[in-house]
Amino acid sequence: MSNGALPATSADPDTAISNQPEVSVPIELAIQPPSEGTDSQAAGAADGTELVEGHIRTEAALSELFTAPATTLLRDIGEASFGPPPPLAETVHGPDDRIQITNTAIYPWRVHASLLITAADNSLWIGTGWFIGPHTLMTAGHVVYIKNSGVPGRDGWVKSINVMPGRNGSSLPYGSVTSSNFRTVNGWANSGDENYDYGAIIIPTDLGSTVGWLGFGVWPDADLLSAVANISGYPGDKPAGTQWYDHRTIASVNARKVFYDIDTAGGQSGSAAYRIINGVRYGVAIHAYGGATTNSGTRIIQPVYDNMVAWKA
Amino acid sequence: MPAKPIIVAGVVRGPGGEKLPQARVFIARGPVPVPDVAALTDADGRFTLSLPAAGSYEVACVAEGCAPSSAKIEVTQQQELRLELRLKAERPRQ
Repeated sequence: MSNGALPATSADPDTAISNQPEVSVPIELAIQPPSEGTDSQAAGAADGTELVEGHIRTEAALSELFTAPATTLLRDIGEASFGPPPPLAETVHGPDDRIQITNTAIYPWRVHASLLITAADNSLWIGTGWFIGPHTLMTAGHVVYIKNSGVPGRDGWVKSINVMPGRNGSSLPYGSVTSSNFRTVNGWANSGDENYDYGAIIIPTDLGSTVGWLGFGVWPDADLLSAVANISGYPGDKPAGTQWYDHRTIASVNARKVFYDIDTAGGQSGSAAYRIINGVRYGVAIHAYGGATTNSGTRIIQPVYDNMVAWKA
Repeated sequence: MPAKPIIVAGVVRGPGGEKLPQARVFIARGPVPVPDVAALTDADGRFTLSLPAAGSYEVACVAEGCAPSSAKIEVTQQQELRLELRLKAERPRQ
């Protein structure tokens, strides 16, 4: 399918679409296991979170974390404010608890990939993806298919994505691979509905067999609301290509979204929001949006899960 | 995203006024949830962002060797805005 072309269908919003010929795969289970890949030397995990030296999450009261932004000092658009950065960015709520991951060549950090995206209009973007199988990474729908940008020539399937697993600045411990083979669903590509903002990148190699992948599954509301979500990705407000991690208890859920106060920034779209059960890591959402009070990801519910299983085949 | 999003086209310049390629530009604050991506400026330091709704935004910019910066803007529907971000040199670490 060419960029910008949409399937002529009014099918279910979770109907998968692709820029490649489609293949159907039988669906069986509600939980997919992870893989640590080869020579993993996996980092340990405990009590729902990763064991990262020096990482302490501040649990401040919500009233302390969320203060209304000052609007009285807004400047004219022609007077772009220069100088030091603002103390708080919108997607960083309260104290910035993110910690840099430097041992990105080991599992699980190497399943997270820095993405360099070339859109249809040749504009460049950064995002994050995570392996769910030997040749498949999950990411946000708006990473693979740009919708309603308003910029001539930009909308539609992106041209290509350069995938760099476990990137640490200029270091690419597993090299990079370029893909132009993508997946998303009707609900995103046709409607631009953020409830369906998820997609996948199919790479032309089995690099996932080396770096491993996260499991994923479907859990009920009560289960998620008692779980800690973990996110590691490649935010644009940190040194280029560096991976940063944070975790926090899930704040709320609805039928199609998971909300959390985990600190993120532009460039982390597509990151896994995952939980750890007995040391085993499972994706529960695909991070996609920064919000005024909470950030959010597309929840892995049964139709999403079914597409993920088909896409990792 | 609305049918006609608000477009912010801009350029990022370094301490000497030079156009900065490969700078990361993203929405750090907005009135509604926004996609968590960042644009990279092109060879001429240019970028174009789409804003989903009218309101107050903070557009942030980060580039190697420069101090991070941001611009606060107030936008209304049907606007196309021009923005210039000039970054200061990064302070040497003590």
